[in-house]
Parts: sequence; structure tokens; C-alpha cells
Amino acid sequence: MSTEKPPVLHAADVHKSYAIGNRRIEVLRGVNLTINAGETVALLGASGAGKSTLLHLLGLLDSPTRGEVQFSGEATSDRSAAYRAKLRNRHIGFVFQFYHLIPELTALQNVLLAQMMGVSVLGYWRARRRSHAAARQMLERVGLGERLHHRPSELSGGERQRCAIARALLANPSIVLADEPTGNLDSQTAAGVVELMFSIQRERDLAFLLVTHDESLAQRCDRIVRMKDGVVIEQEQVR
Amino acid sequence: MYRLSLAVRYLLTRPVNLLGVGGILISVWALVVVVSLFSGFLRVLEEHVRSATSDVVVSDVPEWTEWNTLQAALADDPNVAAAAPRLLHYGMLIPPGRRPAPAPLPGKSALHGGDQPFLFVYGVDAALEATATDMQQWLDSPEIPEDLRAADTATPLAAISETPAVLIGLERMLREGLTVGDPLRLTTARMVRSEDGRSRPVKIEIDLRVGGAFRTEHGGFDGNNVFVDIGTLRAALSPDRPGSVQEVAVRVHDKQQLEETAQRLSRVVNRVTEQNGRAFGRVETWRERNEQFLANVSHQRGLMKIVLIVIMVVAAFLMLATLSMMVTEKTSDIGILTAMGGTPIGVTTVFLACGVVITVAGVSLGLVTGVLTAVYLEEIRQAMLWSTGVDLFPLDVYNLQRVPCRIEPAWLLQVTVMALLTGALASVIPALRAARHDPLVSLRGI
Ligand SMILES: Nc1ncnc2c1ncn2[C@@H]1O[C@H](COP(=O)(O)OP(=O)(O)OP(=O)(O)O)[C@@H](O)[C@H]1O
Ligand SMILES: [Mg+2]
Repeated sequence: MSTEKPPVLHAADVHKSYAIGNRRIEVLRGVNLTINAGETVALLGASGAGKSTLLHLLGLLDSPTRGEVQFSGEATSDRSAAYRAKLRNRHIGFVFQFYHLIPELTALQNVLLAQMMGVSVLGYWRARRRSHAAARQMLERVGLGERLHHRPSELSGGERQRCAIARALLANPSIVLADEPTGNLDSQTAAGVVELMFSIQRERDLAFLLVTHDESLAQRCDRIVRMKDGVVIEQEQVR
Repeated sequence: MYRLSLAVRYLLTRPVNLLGVGGILISVWALVVVVSLFSGFLRVLEEHVRSATSDVVVSDVPEWTEWNTLQAALADDPNVAAAAPRLLHYGMLIPPGRRPAPAPLPGKSALHGGDQPFLFVYGVDAALEATATDMQQWLDSPEIPEDLRAADTATPLAAISETPAVLIGLERMLREGLTVGDPLRLTTARMVRSEDGRSRPVKIEIDLRVGGAFRTEHGGFDGNNVFVDIGTLRAALSPDRPGSVQEVAVRVHDKQQLEETAQRLSRVVNRVTEQNGRAFGRVETWRERNEQFLANVSHQRGLMKIVLIVIMVVAAFLMLATLSMMVTEKTSDIGILTAMGGTPIGVTTVFLACGVVITVAGVSLGLVTGVLTAVYLEEIRQAMLWSTGVDLFPLDVYNLQRVPCRIEPAWLLQVTVMALLTGALASVIPALRAARHDPLVSLRGI
């Protein structure tokens, strides 16, 4: 895909360090990375390289110690927590290795939850009716049409991850950040989930950042970014 | 709104939280029922002492006071409708030739002090007394059997075969098996100054005949007091001063102005009784007169409130424990909600909402069941009595027709506010713990 598209997320000289006792651990040491609209990027690196840390920074869940994360060309570090939360809610979808569904809610309610979070008391029921149909459709799209009212504990690992994908996509985000989404699945189930993600990505022209240890999976992305010890050591344009 | 629905789902999947609801329910229920019972009891007692006391009571009138002078001074007040003189003495009242009964063991009527032969003797002018107090009602009470009633309740203290009459509380009459016309002897004493200047007690015996029974609503009054004609007492105690008076019962026109009238009368009495620049006499409204007695019950009510509020605190701790457990269990959800666009404050309020739901559920259930129990307390007592034979509240001890109950909206409001505040406090602590939790920690691992 072309690189002329506007950037969705941009990390400019991002540093992140943690203080443990009186020692400082430099986890990220000046990362520069741009993800453009509609682009799929694979992020590879050894364990402990700082991939998850970078993903959390890009997802506005955390703030860099130094440097800046821009969303659609807009600096975010000086914005309020509430504003960043709103950006996350509207424009960024997350998929995690351990699914992170809420066990008390059914598949349908889990998918709906993010949508309902932005709604005030007044419009609640109207918004819920509106989102309900969309959520149902989304779950049907990921192949869980028969599992709408099952709790996460009643779903298999693959089904849970599909549900998590449906949840990430319901708000129609501009980018999905996935942290080892298949890390917990057997290869066959993983392949199914991967197929699903890529097909939805193509349908919707989403930007996609995929953290993975799987070379073959990375090869399917537009670009492969390799990290080591908190810095990007190589960027390879695949297509 | 999503927070509330999420909170409700959290709670519904954790029945342990019912403990918190139950705790608050019980404490609110108990606070409503017990305090309503006490308030009702207090009001009934107030009505009872009211029925046995005149509007205003003048007491501690010094011995040199002349009734005629005092009466005239009191009658000058525009709000005084009637005034009646009383002499107050004490003594032992037993049938002549009989020895007094042994000291009673504490029993049902020990509460009224009504089962010992030592009692207070009021000397009254029956005609005046009936104008200043409810004496006529006491004598005409429908509870009194015809054979125990005074021959003519308009002149109840008329001598019976030339012996002065005595009016006795109905309970005492029944217990001692007395009937109208029975002879009784009042044994008492008075201090007499002899020639050497010392005071010595001189025994006095007055032969009386039972004139009839009286009955006020106040069992304690009936058990401890008897009435004789004021002339009889005057003749025995102060033969040299035929106008002596110790107490005055006063009836007023306008009950709204009781306090003001009592204050005015106090000045009048002070003026009349003044001697060597010192003022004597005390003027009290019926409420002041019975203050000690009523304060006792309201003091007990206060103690009950404290005990029951402690239950509420225990309930709050219960709630705190279950909510804390839940927060620990739900740390991963804190991460999820944050990732999906929740702010730290927003996520905290989910847990706060859990506490609020528990509290509101407990308080509303407690209020409803509490009010229902209080209203149907008498029916509940009867059902208990009928099914198990246990009497929850011995009505006759307190001279009651039904279990008293008075639901005060102000108290309901107080309980509600108190319970909501304790509930809020108990939910804030776990919620704050949730807020301090770093959402990224749970997103990294499982
Ligand atoms: N809150 C924290 N406090 C201290 N150190 C941290 C913290 N979070 C992460 N680290 C450290 O930062 C480093 C990078 O962690 P990160 O989770 O980003 O690695 P990763 O590349 O995602 O590894 P993996 O492939 O195993 O998931 C690790 O050495 C980790 O110990
Ligand atoms: Mg990681």
C-alpha cells in the first residue's frame, strides 16, 4: 500500500524508563515510528525488548518519559487523561494476548460495553438500542452469531479472541493495536483468527499494529519493524 | 450509566454482597422499629402522666400560706380557669388490727410501686379538685366495676357513717380485695415542737372507710396515691391552721400558653409566700412536673439508638470487606475498562456504584420492612402470642391497649442519611484502592 496516506500514530523519539528502588530501567530509548492510515505493521523483537511498552504508549494508555506520541498529527502528552481516554474510546481498538473480556458480561455485552462507556444517562437506552444491532452484526461477522449470550467462561480461546476482536472493532476505530493476539492459541485456531483480522482490516481499511513473535505472520504485513533493547533496529517494507 | 449496569452485574454474580445489603437492612430495620416503638411508648406515657396531672402544679407552698390569699392571687391571672388546694402527706394504710403485708418482691406491679402499704395521701377539696383536674373522669372511668365505684361520684369524699372516706386506685382495690365501705386505718406521724424546743414525731391514726376507686391512665400514680378530704388532713396535721395548703392544682384556659402562664404564676406565688425577703413555692407545667419520668424513657431511647448505630457500623464493615474482596478480584477489569476508554475516575466510580447499589438496596428494604413492622407491631405481637404463647410486650404492665408505635418522618430521614453516609464511606475505601491500581499491570499479565 502507498505510504502517502496520512499518519495515524507517530512516535517521535519516545523514551520510557521505570524507577525500581533507586535504579532506573530504560525500557525505550528513543523510538521513532509512524503508522499510516490503512497500513499493517508487524512489530517483532525478543522478549523484554519493549514491544508491549511501546504499544501501551502508542495506545495512549501511558505517557512517555521523554518524546511525544502524536495521534493524527496532534500531540497528546499535554492533553488531559479524560481527552486521551476519549481518543482511545473512539479511535483506538485493543486486542490482547489474554483476551481480557469481562467475565460477568456475555459476548454481546462485552462488545457493547466500550460503546456504552461514552454515553450519558440521558441517551443511554436509545444509544444501546442503536449499538445493539451493530454489535450483533459484528459478532456474526467474527463467527459468533450463535454465541451472543455466552459468557467468556463458556467460550473457547479462539472464540474469546474473536469476541475481543469484535469489541475492538465495534467503534470503527482508525487503528487496532494487537499485542500477540494469537500467542495463547494453537496454530490452527490462530490461523483462523489471523485470517479474520486481515480480512476485516482489508474491508475497513484499518491501520493495524501487530506485536508478534511469528515471522510468517509478520510477513503478511505491509511493513516489519524490529526492536531490540528499547530501540527500533530495522524497518523492512514488505509490500 | 454503564457503570451502574456493570456494578449491578458485578453484584449479581457475587451473592456474598448480599451480606452487606442484609447488614444495612437489619440495622435500618431495627433503628426504625425500635425507635418507633420507644417514641410511641414515650407518647403514650406522656398521655398517661398528662391524664393524672393538672395543667400547672404549684408545689412547696410554705406552711404559713393561707389558701384564701393564694387562691385570690392565682385567680387574678387571666389564663387561670380553676385552682384546687391540696395537702400532701404519707402513711401506712391497712385494715385496722391487721399487720402490714411483708415487703413485696419485685413483680409486675412493683414497677408502679403499687404493692406496698406505704403511700402518699392527698388531701383535696373534691368539688374544687374536679374543676382543676380530671378527677371526675378518674372516678367515672368505665374500667371501674359498679360495686367499686363511689356511691355518688359528684361527692366522692362524703363521709361514710360519719367516718371520712378515702379514694383508692382501682388496681390496689382489686389486689387487696377492698370494697366500698371497708374500714382502713391510716397510720402516720407529724413533728411537734415540745416545750424544750425539740421536735418530736407524734403518732397519728386516722380511721377511714373506702369511698370508691379512681383510675387515671398513669398506673404509677394510681398505685402510690390515695385521696382523702383536705379537712380530714388539716384537722390531724395542722389543727391550728385551717387554711393550710401545700400544693395547688391549676387548670388554664389556653393550653398553648402553658409556659408563659406558669412563669406568671411563679411570680404570683413568690409574692404571696414571701417572708423576710425570701421567696418560696415552685410552679411547674405538667410536663416539667413529670420530666424525670419521661426523661428516663427518652434516655433509654437514646441508648438504644447508640447500640443500633453500632450495628450499622458493623454492617458497613461487612460491606467494606466484601467490596474490598471484589476490587482485588477485579483488578484485571480495571485495565480493560481503561483500555476501552475509561478514565481512572470513571473506573473508580464503577466500584463506588457497587457500594451505592448495596447501600440503597439495604436502606430502602430496611425502611419498607421497618415501617411495615412498626405499623403492624400489634398484629405481630398477637400472632406471636397465638402461635407460640410468647408475649413480646406485656401491655398490662404499662397500662396499654396495643403496642405503641410512632413513626417519625424526621427520624426516618435521619436513619436514611446516616445509613447512606456510612454506606458511602464504606464504599469509598475500596473504590480508592481500585483507583490506585495501575491498569497497565493487569494488562501485561493475565
Ligand atoms: N511497570 C514496570 N516497572 C518496571 N519495569 C517494567 C515495567 N513494565 C515493563 N518493565 C520492563 O520493561 C521491559 C520491557 O517490557 P515489555 O513488556 O515491553 O516487553 P515485551 O517486548 O513486550 O516482551 P514480551 O515479548 O515478553 O511480551 C521488561 O524488561 C520489563 O521488565
Ligand atoms: Mg509483551
